[in-house]
This record gives sequence, C-alpha cells and structure tokens, in this order.
Amino acid sequence: MAVIEARGLGKTYRGKAAVSDLSFEVHPGSVTGFLGPNGAGKSTTMRLMLGLDRGAGSTTFDGVPFVALDRPMQHVGSLLEAKPFHPTRKARNHLRMLAAAHGIPTTRVDEILEQLGLESVSRKKPRTFSLGMGQRLGLAAALLGDPHTLILDEPANGLDPQGIQWIRELLKGFAASGRSVFVSSHLLSEMALMADQLVVIGRGRMIASGPVGDFVKSSRRNSVTVRSPQATELAAALAGDGVEVDAQEPGVLSVSGMEAAAIGDLAFDRGIRLHELATRVATLEEAFLEATGSSQEYEAVASRPEPSGQPTSEPGAP
Amino acid sequence: MRDALRYEWMRIRTVRSTYWLTGAVLAIAALTGFLVALAVRASGEDASADEIAELGPWIGTQFAAAGSPYFVAYLLAIIGILGWGHEYRHGMIRATLTAVPSRSTVFWAKQLVVGGWVALSVAAAYTISVLGAWLVLRGSSFPLPMATAFDGVGRATVYTVLLTWLGMAATSLLRNQTASMVLLFIWPLVVENVVKLVVAVVPGTEGIRPLTRFLPFDAGGRINSDTRLMPGESVFGQPLTWIGGVIVFGGVTLVLVLVALVLFRRRDA
Repeated sequence: MAVIEARGLGKTYRGKAAVSDLSFEVHPGSVTGFLGPNGAGKSTTMRLMLGLDRGAGSTTFDGVPFVALDRPMQHVGSLLEAKPFHPTRKARNHLRMLAAAHGIPTTRVDEILEQLGLESVSRKKPRTFSLGMGQRLGLAAALLGDPHTLILDEPANGLDPQGIQWIRELLKGFAASGRSVFVSSHLLSEMALMADQLVVIGRGRMIASGPVGDFVKSSRRNSVTVRSPQATELAAALAGDGVEVDAQEPGVLSVSGMEAAAIGDLAFDRGIRLHELATRVATLEEAFLEATGSSQEYEAVASRPEPSGQPTSEPGAP
Repeated sequence: MRDALRYEWMRIRTVRSTYWLTGAVLAIAALTGFLVALAVRASGEDASADEIAELGPWIGTQFAAAGSPYFVAYLLAIIGILGWGHEYRHGMIRATLTAVPSRSTVFWAKQLVVGGWVALSVAAAYTISVLGAWLVLRGSSFPLPMATAFDGVGRATVYTVLLTWLGMAATSLLRNQTASMVLLFIWPLVVENVVKLVVAVVPGTEGIRPLTRFLPFDAGGRINSDTRLMPGESVFGQPLTWIGGVIVFGGVTLVLVLVALVLFRRRDA
C-alpha cells in the first residue's frame, strides 16, 4: 500500500511557471481529490508525477520513483487522456498490448473488461466509442495490473449519472481496501461525495491541502441564519471581534464567525426571542471558488453564481 | 527490455496498417516477378546471358538493383513511420510510457521490432518475386539462374531497414507522421534531385559535382544498384560502391536515430 510523496514539483513553459514548488502526500485508504481552476496545472502535475513531463522535483510511490518501478502498472494505474488508444485497435487488443508488457495473462484482460462493462464491445474498434466508453476503457487499462495506487485525471468526463455513481463507488471501494486514489475532477459535487482529502492548487501553486471537512469549514461562506422579531437588538449584541452580521431582510440576520449554539445562548442571556436558528454550511464548490477566486488562469466575464448552500435547520428558540 | 519487446510486438501486430502495408508489398513483389518473367519469356530471345544473370536481383528488388527507386522499401518504411506517428497522433505515447517508463528501452524496442518485421517482409517480398519469376521461366529457353538470383537480398534488406529507421527517427523528431512521410518522399525525389540539377547547370560548380554522390539517398540507392565490389575499386569512388552507400546512408541514419533518442529522452511525452 503506497504513500505518494510529491516534493517540490515544478514545470515552466517558455519562462512561465505552470507548476511551482508543489509538495503534498497521498495516503493509502483515502481518495484524495485534486482541485484547481482550468489551467491551474493539474494535468501537468500528474504528468510530472509519472515522469512523462520533464521538470523539477520528485514523486515517489513508497519511496520509489515511477520510472524506477518494475512493471509499473502493477503498482500505479493511471488515466491521463480522454481517449488514450489507437482508434482502430480493438479494445481487447489495446489491453492485451498493455498486459504483454507486464506478464499479465489474457484471462485478466477479459476479467477487467467484464468488470468495467466492456465485454460486449471488447472486439470493437474504439473509434466508435462514446467519450464515456472511452473513459471506461482508459479505466480498464488503469486497473489492469491490479495496482495499489490510481492516478486519474478527470475520470468522470463524459460519463452519464449512472456512470458517475459507478466510478464513485469504484474509487471509494478501491480506497476502502487500503489503496490510494489521487483523482482530479471538475465535478465538485461529485468530489464532495467521493474525496476524503483534498489538494487544491491555483496557478500552479498550493492553495490548500488536507481533509475535505477542514477545507469546507475554513470557508467564510459558513454562516448561521437567525430569524428574530428583535433582530436589531440581537445584531448589536452579536457585534464583536471576528463576527460578521448581515441583515438580509427585516427580522433576518446572517451571522458568520459564531456557532449557532453560541448565538442561541447569547440571545437567551439577553432575553431576545428567536424564531429560527439555522446553520448554513458552505458547499465544497463555494469553498473552492472562494479559495481559488484570485487564481483563475482563464476567467469569463460573468458574475459569480449566487451562494447556494444547504441550510441545516436547527430550531433553537430559547 | 523483454517486456518492451513484447509490448512493441503486440503493438505492431494489432494495428491494421501493418498488414495492409506488408500485404501490399508482398502483392507488388509477386506481381512484379510474375509479369516481368512473362515479358522475358515472351521476348527472351532478345536477352543476353549477362542480362539474364542480373535478372534475379532486378526482379527481387523490383528493379532497384537496376537503379530505380525501391518502392516497396518506401512502403515498408511507412510501417516504421506509423510506429512513432501513432504514438503522437493518438496520444498513445503516454500510455506506452506508463507501461514501459524507460524511454531508451521503449525507443530501442520499437526500432528493433519494426526493423525485424521490415527485414523479414522485404526478404519475403524478394523471395516471392524471384520464385514467381522462376516458376514462369521454368522450362523456357531462358530459365532464371538461381545461383545469382538471391545476390541482392541482403543489400535490399539492409537498405530497407536503414530507410525504415531513418523514417522512424524523423517521425520521432517531428512528432508528425504526415510531415515525416512527406519528408521521406520529398528529400530523395525533390531535394536531392534539385541539388544535383543546380550543381550540374550552374557554372563554377564543377569542383563540387562529384560530391553529390554523397547525398544520403543517392548514396543509399547504390546499396542496391552497385553489383559488387571489384578488385582495386575504392569504397568511396565515383560512383560510390554499395559499401560506401551503406556507410553514408547508414551514417546519416545513425546520426538521426541518435539525435531522435536524445530528444525523446529529454522532451515531454
């Protein structure tokens, strides 16, 4: 079971840094999501990790660089391209070719084709495959060697909702068996369901890394909605260091920087009546947009989406 | 290396173009042998004994031994060009390097397997061509002299493998199979002929005129067309001997292959 250790990864294209001094770890038993805006350097980082791009730094898998691994697909499975195969080489032959380099028997090729639902198209040419089918074949290649680590770049691209759910279960199951998954995705809602840990980058630099819960909790979009007939009085009582109070409409306050329980206690102490006390938890998307707001490489001229948090009602009138 | 060879062997066997091109070469070879032999049989009375003695290598090389461009060699070289071209055109190179991360190993495995396939194919084409002609001429007044029929097979194989490796090196450098194919045809057919023409017509270039025999494809052509090294003949004489051709054409190929290898190791995949 491999620990991935990336140290000081860096890559420059024509004098412009695409990835700068990026260091992180991926531990077994977890799905680590790799997030960043378009052009942040996610794909470049993954290629650097696998020795496909030349750049600074090093990545080891249980202390061994990828290029030094014996029969690497039996250690690390990867999916980096949307359709990484020759369009007229049959799906089964594509896997047989990869298997040939690793002494993997043909029975394993057939087994993985069946596992990924590609049995019926195994003797078809991939040029007729949809993007989703192509992704499945790419995943089949990644899983062929029964590796202990997966490195996947946007594996859910082109998959239908059932496919996305399937890949989520697949990766969670893979991690639950004590193996490591490092996966990038633009589907933040999906990442919220799948990932245990996050590595967030912007403009090739580290923005955050750690458990998903900590990352979301650090967002300023976390708040408490308070409905009270004495809202003005309550706002004055709440005002203090680190607490932001926003009057959303008459009788409704949005409070950040203070837990719902503390607000309830304070209101009780001051004899202020509350009609509603609801914690609004930021979504991963909001936390991500907040964290990477200044790190977008390519930004359309359009307004940001309005916060769409998931209020958790906590009736707490004293 | 063994794993890389297995990978490359499976790669070359599971792509249709390998079979189309090899099949086309064998068909052309068989047809050439058959038709030329029919023509010889029909007009055999005009052929001299010397011409009949040369007939085997001429038919075997589809007249490259008589100085024509070696068309089947170009067809087989396309297998090599596609060997690298598919890697870049279809993004296969990353899949390849995640299966076999050692770039030098991948490079040499590809050169060896494709070179081996091409060597066997060209030898088979030569043999089919000669045997076809032998069958047609058997029992005629001008039977194909088998003692000299296979004199050109070794040199045809060397030339075709060198041409294939040259095409592979160019494709690895350019990372574009179309550009590489165009280059492989433009260089000998246009560039070298233009150079020779310029040197032939421009006054004051008489001194460098003999040097045109060292143009890579001109020299390469001598691998097939020079019959044998005569006693006292200089390897790099005028015209170039086939050994001189191997050294010049093989040297250019070797340099390109080494440059391609160095850049393949250095560049991003």
